[in-house]
Amino acid sequence: MARLYDHHTPMSNRRSPWLTLVSLLVYAFLYAPIAVLMVYAFNSSRTNIVFEGLVNQGPCGPFYWFCRLSNNHEVLSAAGNTLTIALTSTIASTIIGTMAALALQRYHFPAKTFSEVSLYIPIVIPEIVMGIGILVLFSALFRWLNGALSLEGDRRLALGLGTVIVSHIAFSIPFVTLVVRARLHGFDKAVEEAAMDLGANEWITFWRVTLPMIAPGVLSGAMLAFTLSLDDFVITFFTNGPGSTTLPIYIYGLLRRIITPEVNALSTVWILIVLIALLVTQWLQNAEDPFRAVRILARAFSPLFQWLRPGR
Amino acid sequence: MFKLIAWKGLAVLVVASLALAACGTGAATTTAPTQPPQPTAPPAETGGFTSKPSGKTTAAGFECPEPQPRMEVQSKDVNLFVWTEYIPQDIIDCFQLVYGITVNRDEYSSNEEMYAKISKGNTNYDLVQPTDFIVSLMIRQGLLEKLDQSKLTIMDNFDSNYLNFAFDPNNEYTLPYQAGTDAIVVNTDKVKNVPQSWADLWKPEYAGKMVFLDDSRAVIGLTLLTLGYDVNTKDPKQLDEAKAKLAELVPNVKLFDSDSPKTALIAGDADLGMTWTGEAFLAQQEVPSIQYVYPTEGAILWQDNYAIPTGAPHLDAAYAWLNYSMQPDLFWLMLRDFPYTNPSKAALEYAKTSQMSIEDANGNDTTPAKLYEAYFNSPITNTPPQAIQNGHRIDDVGDALPLYDRIWQEVKGGS
Amino acid sequence: MNILKRLRDKNSRRGLWLISPTLLWMIGLLIIPLILVVITSLGQRDPDGNVIYTFSVNNYLRLIGYSFNAPCGDTPPPCFDDLYITILWRSLVLAFQTTVLVILVGYPLAYYVARAPARWRNLLLFLILIPLWTNFVIRVYAWIMILRSQGVINNLLEAVWPVILPVYTVLYNLILSPLSAFLPLHLSAPGAFQPLEMLYTPGAVLVGMLYEFLPFMILPMYTSLEKIEPALYEAAADLGASAARTFWRVTLPLSAPGIVAGTILVFIPVMGTFIVSDILGGRQVILVGNLIQRQFLDARDPTFGSAASIILMVMTLIVTIFYTRRFGFGEEIASA
Repeated sequence: MARLYDHHTPMSNRRSPWLTLVSLLVYAFLYAPIAVLMVYAFNSSRTNIVFEGLVNQGPCGPFYWFCRLSNNHEVLSAAGNTLTIALTSTIASTIIGTMAALALQRYHFPAKTFSEVSLYIPIVIPEIVMGIGILVLFSALFRWLNGALSLEGDRRLALGLGTVIVSHIAFSIPFVTLVVRARLHGFDKAVEEAAMDLGANEWITFWRVTLPMIAPGVLSGAMLAFTLSLDDFVITFFTNGPGSTTLPIYIYGLLRRIITPEVNALSTVWILIVLIALLVTQWLQNAEDPFRAVRILARAFSPLFQWLRPGR
Repeated sequence: MFKLIAWKGLAVLVVASLALAACGTGAATTTAPTQPPQPTAPPAETGGFTSKPSGKTTAAGFECPEPQPRMEVQSKDVNLFVWTEYIPQDIIDCFQLVYGITVNRDEYSSNEEMYAKISKGNTNYDLVQPTDFIVSLMIRQGLLEKLDQSKLTIMDNFDSNYLNFAFDPNNEYTLPYQAGTDAIVVNTDKVKNVPQSWADLWKPEYAGKMVFLDDSRAVIGLTLLTLGYDVNTKDPKQLDEAKAKLAELVPNVKLFDSDSPKTALIAGDADLGMTWTGEAFLAQQEVPSIQYVYPTEGAILWQDNYAIPTGAPHLDAAYAWLNYSMQPDLFWLMLRDFPYTNPSKAALEYAKTSQMSIEDANGNDTTPAKLYEAYFNSPITNTPPQAIQNGHRIDDVGDALPLYDRIWQEVKGGS
Repeated sequence: MNILKRLRDKNSRRGLWLISPTLLWMIGLLIIPLILVVITSLGQRDPDGNVIYTFSVNNYLRLIGYSFNAPCGDTPPPCFDDLYITILWRSLVLAFQTTVLVILVGYPLAYYVARAPARWRNLLLFLILIPLWTNFVIRVYAWIMILRSQGVINNLLEAVWPVILPVYTVLYNLILSPLSAFLPLHLSAPGAFQPLEMLYTPGAVLVGMLYEFLPFMILPMYTSLEKIEPALYEAAADLGASAARTFWRVTLPLSAPGIVAGTILVFIPVMGTFIVSDILGGRQVILVGNLIQRQFLDARDPTFGSAASIILMVMTLIVTIFYTRRFGFGEEIASA
């Protein structure tokens, strides 16, 4: 903290106490709602309007609402869906986006400008327009296909997990491409050329030389795609169907009923998961071999994935 | 050169999209759905229904009854598209426990929202809950399946007053679910002059304190009533007058809410307004000074129904749900959780005589008999005959519908 | 001939192969849907809410408010009804207000973190990321709990009311009451505590927007502020510049790319928002996003909704293009 009457630190390094105060206020503004959310998760009042004291009901005591949450099948299935969608769309869009970044950064081909422009569009149009567009597309497409192929009952094409995943991939690809391209920008091809001079073919060069060197960019892009998918509301809102509810959609649904502290408990759990995920990301970013770190993580989390598998 | 190919490509895309759009509008051919299996037991009698336990209990501690009859179901899922806050969680849990079928529930808070999604034809729901006036529209558009009466064991449970309405003669497509009214709700502690008519709501003293249902037909309807016109008028002149009058009211409304209007009343964000039976009853439970007033011009009467959309993928599960969830020993749960006017005589009988001990919404001990008492004695859920006589039902207005839609849009958008 | 030759070129083929899945997705889920939306917007609605595919600009005319045969209030046709223009304008204004507020509130924090000692910087940045990654529906809900009549703010005010009341009475009698003759102040006379009606107002929507997008602006601003060499500050100080001058002439211009990037990340989503105005505005604050959502859900007029979507997109593109032409695209988006 800067000392108030500081005659030794040069002016350029002195931090004004006003600045510190304002910054603290902004931090308070950022965290006040989160604090309120978490405190009310322990509210004893079911209608959750006024804080009426610490809840102490049932076997879980103060964590009554959290326990109710764990028995709530809808939440668990929504969480499972959210993870499935996020993982699938992240993997797909990372691969596709990296390929696109390589293509745009290194090769010339017809349709190059078209690709570049169409990759910028999802970033600059409001999500609702894209959501509406995809809804209109699927409505027309399904009506035609269902009629043409006479699909019935369960085999009828309809909005559901598939449509959500496909849409998530669509809006993630531009962001992954952008990030990987930024990484490819300063890439020194000399290393690749050296590898090829030493006899490696193109595929091995890519796999053993290029990819590890752009790995941080690719991982960044993957994380970005994962976040976008996890948090997405608008596009999912227009493309989901029965049985493909994600957590954000589910919470929005809960807000439409009488809001019990269970919603707060869910929010608190979400915030804690985010905290852990961010810490893990920091660890990953500082790790020397990011791929090994990812493998360790995957092994650690596999029991969780088993548990959240949809349809349990 | 490339540019030429690009433009040609774009043209091909446009043509393809046009073709897609045009093909999409053709009505889908509906083939006969797979026949659900027949129930094995004869239909239940209405008097003296005996409940049998199934041995399963929900997480909240409710003991699930055995389905009577138990139907054979192949499907693993059932997709419900229902109103928010309208199905007791215990019924859903019991169905899942007893039949092992996963219940997927999506919700809506207005008939128009439900109709918009169903009419697009790209969703796979097994059951919807349309209100009376939209049923005729949906039947006309071919969006509902005819019910197979032989699969339904609960038809005899219903009071005949709720059957055979003009919107669905002989109940070919729908079953009654809950009925009720739209009327004025007031927190008498906060509001000194209690409004007695719809017209009173325009008074400036109520400005900024009201919660209204986000329901275009109901709100436009009550405006028409204040002008002395019919709620189902098709006369553009009358509708124009209603629009002007409504435009005066909207700025005074603090919020529109069809999801959970009682929340604003309980939380004190609104002191009075217009809402449904069940919401008013629940609000009154939390804040006893909240009263329900039937306006002098007449309340709006409605009935919600179950229907099966065409192309429903899990018909057998749908019938199993209907028969189980509206079984007398389960359907009485509506009295506890979402108290609207209940069309099932059998469920009410069962509640009246049952002494089982359960917890109400606030965790207090009660019995279904006590719940029935409260239901029967309350003018909210047990609509007085005078109010029914004075009341008005909303009907399909056919060609005039776009006029109503536009009024709603323009009046709400322009504040 | 040129194309075929390029196709035989291995480089071109490789490039095309790499870009093909992207092209498939972009064409299939972006270009074609947008074309379909345009086509739908040129259609008409039948009485039951289905789309009749024709070529008609009626929906666009309706958006501008041009009315052929229906009167607009008291004016006889043809006339202009500014209903939808008002909604579009309201969205623009809100987007503008949010962006300005977000810059004003976020800049000090971004500056603080950028100039913090290196060992603190990561932690401070981390603290900004947490709200960003928390789901935005949850964050909107939190504001309901804070702003409602019996929410946190009103509870706090009620608790300290006995202390505030004397101060307020003095202020009211001396200054505010006479002032309210000139200014439209809605103040209640001093007395028992009256809860502030904050929820379900346009103000609540603005606060909600500010809260949602603050981290989106802080991060790019931080990125570009952090790139400024400390040596520059020292140089300015050596040359005798005051703190204010240094800020105006050195800091602000060098952090401009971050502000630009942040503006793009904030302005575009705000233009299309409908959730925040739905939940915090009590379905009374109608923005373009709400209009579009309602057309597809309640009013069952997908043709009109499509037209509104196209107009929204065009407006957003115009503002973005104009802005980036003037200020550049901001490479900070990639590093944000």
